[in-house]
Amino acid sequence: MSESQLSADADAPATAVEVPVFEARGISKSYGHVEALIDTDFEVRRGEVVGLLGDNGAGKSTLIKILSGVVQPDSGEFFREGRKVDISTRRKSEEDGGIQTIYQDIALVKSMSIMRNIFAGREPTNALGFMRTKEMRSTAMEVLDKYVRIAGITSPNILVEELSGGQAQAVAIARAVHFKRDILLLDEPTSALSVRETEKVLNIMRELADTGVSCVFVTHNLYHAFRVCDRFSILAHGQNVRHCRKSETSLNELTDIIMTH
Amino acid sequence: MTETLKPDIQARYRQISLVDRIRTHPAGPVAVVFVVMLILCTLYALANPTSFYFLSKGNASLVLRAIPNFGIVALGVGLLMISGEFDLSVGSVYVAAPFGMAFAYANGVPLVWAILFAYSIAICVGLTNAFLTLRFNIPSFIVTLGMLFIVRTSAPYLAGHTRSLVIKLPPDFKAALTKNLWGFMPAQFLWFIGLAIVAYLILNRHFLGNHFYAAGGDKRAARFAGINVVWTKTIAFVLCAMFATTSGILQVARSSKAETNPQLFIELFAVAVCVMGGLSLFGGRGAVIGIVLGAAVLQLVQDVIILARLPGFYLDMFVGIAIVFGVVMNAAVQKRY
Repeated sequence: MSESQLSADADAPATAVEVPVFEARGISKSYGHVEALIDTDFEVRRGEVVGLLGDNGAGKSTLIKILSGVVQPDSGEFFREGRKVDISTRRKSEEDGGIQTIYQDIALVKSMSIMRNIFAGREPTNALGFMRTKEMRSTAMEVLDKYVRIAGITSPNILVEELSGGQAQAVAIARAVHFKRDILLLDEPTSALSVRETEKVLNIMRELADTGVSCVFVTHNLYHAFRVCDRFSILAHGQNVRHCRKSETSLNELTDIIMTH
Repeated sequence: MTETLKPDIQARYRQISLVDRIRTHPAGPVAVVFVVMLILCTLYALANPTSFYFLSKGNASLVLRAIPNFGIVALGVGLLMISGEFDLSVGSVYVAAPFGMAFAYANGVPLVWAILFAYSIAICVGLTNAFLTLRFNIPSFIVTLGMLFIVRTSAPYLAGHTRSLVIKLPPDFKAALTKNLWGFMPAQFLWFIGLAIVAYLILNRHFLGNHFYAAGGDKRAARFAGINVVWTKTIAFVLCAMFATTSGILQVARSSKAETNPQLFIELFAVAVCVMGGLSLFGGRGAVIGIVLGAAVLQLVQDVIILARLPGFYLDMFVGIAIVFGVVMNAAVQKRY
């Protein structure tokens, strides 16, 4: 993948009037006296990579938990393509919100094969509950081939624990994408990866966005974010401090914003 | 997604080679041990035909009759172990549920209903184990240890302090379960193989198996993948108790006698068989073939001890060594990654 493909295009047509794929408005959440989120907005448009940035304690993880249906906000509303939705459980977040969350450590069962992982919880079965293994195998190969063309994955029967961190991350992404959600929410997907693997995961995110799947990239690493994101949403002390397109900002400015708040 | 794959995709994903599959298979070590033992015993028997009767029909029949006894219990324990839980109460279910069947049958209940009664006892014990373990988040090891004692003592209590019950089962029923075929193949062994195939189908071809592996391998990841871990484990607990009941019924059919005296340590032998067979004590790993081979190895050792007229405690010593060795092997294999 060349550098030009990786950087988000600055001169994309103006899409300001487009209805966001997903929108969260006025989200607040307190834990006792601690206000984790105060009237926060967040939106994702089709086919873009949004960087959700902020220092530790900015409210990123609370927002992720709310978006993935693990935590309920005290107030706020959610809209999928302009329609109000309820995302108060994991299932509702996935099915009604269209959000697929990929957590860093618990995305996959390490002692199971790639194929078993891809279909865990959503096995294609016949009427008696027996899995259609042939179909699973060919689908698994197709999924791997489409999204995870990473050297070293030579069979869908390999156990996940034999994969490197980047390969496992890629499989988790492939699994999520295969089940056709609008948005992938990736929580620190690159934090445990080598430079080379990080590059691959960033490439996958970019490729996905180009095919119309939006990605929310939650990270501490501004360099990674700046490489791949179209837009940034920066949180500090539980509040929005900046929404901006990549063309409107620079790496230095992003660093300044996070440092000064 | 069902259309045939493009050849170039197919070419990129090779099948794992046979050598690699055996090397990485959880039952690899036990398979090697089994084959080596079988060869050594055969060679020794050929060299000493008058003193070591390993190859006689009678001996084969004896070994094949003994394997299913704890082999079938181990199948259930293994399914549950892969789901990440233990069941020590199988030792009691193995005697109590068939005793219930015999008691009902002796009191005039039709055989079919008596058998269903045995399985309903198993289901109740399984559900209780599951409820206590999962609802209160207690280690299943402790819960089922308690149930081991409770179930063991309840049968004679409820049945009027009877210690053993001789029953006359219909000859057809008895024959179907225990007849000796061709002079060396007891029907029990065929039932064992049949049940092993059922266990294999559950684990590898049914969605439940996928859930068992996921729940045992990583509870949180399984939950995030949308699997209901509590239900999955509950089903595994119930299946485990049902396998133990089946083994107990075969035993009662063979001896025409139901006893409430426990067969000591069958629950621990079942765990030992599973560990020898390459199942992980921590769940999520293992294969049915390992359980089958583990049961076969255990029985081969017992047979050698008997044929060689060695004292019986050698078997216990072997089991102890095999468990420790098996766990060390498991740990070593898992550290490789």
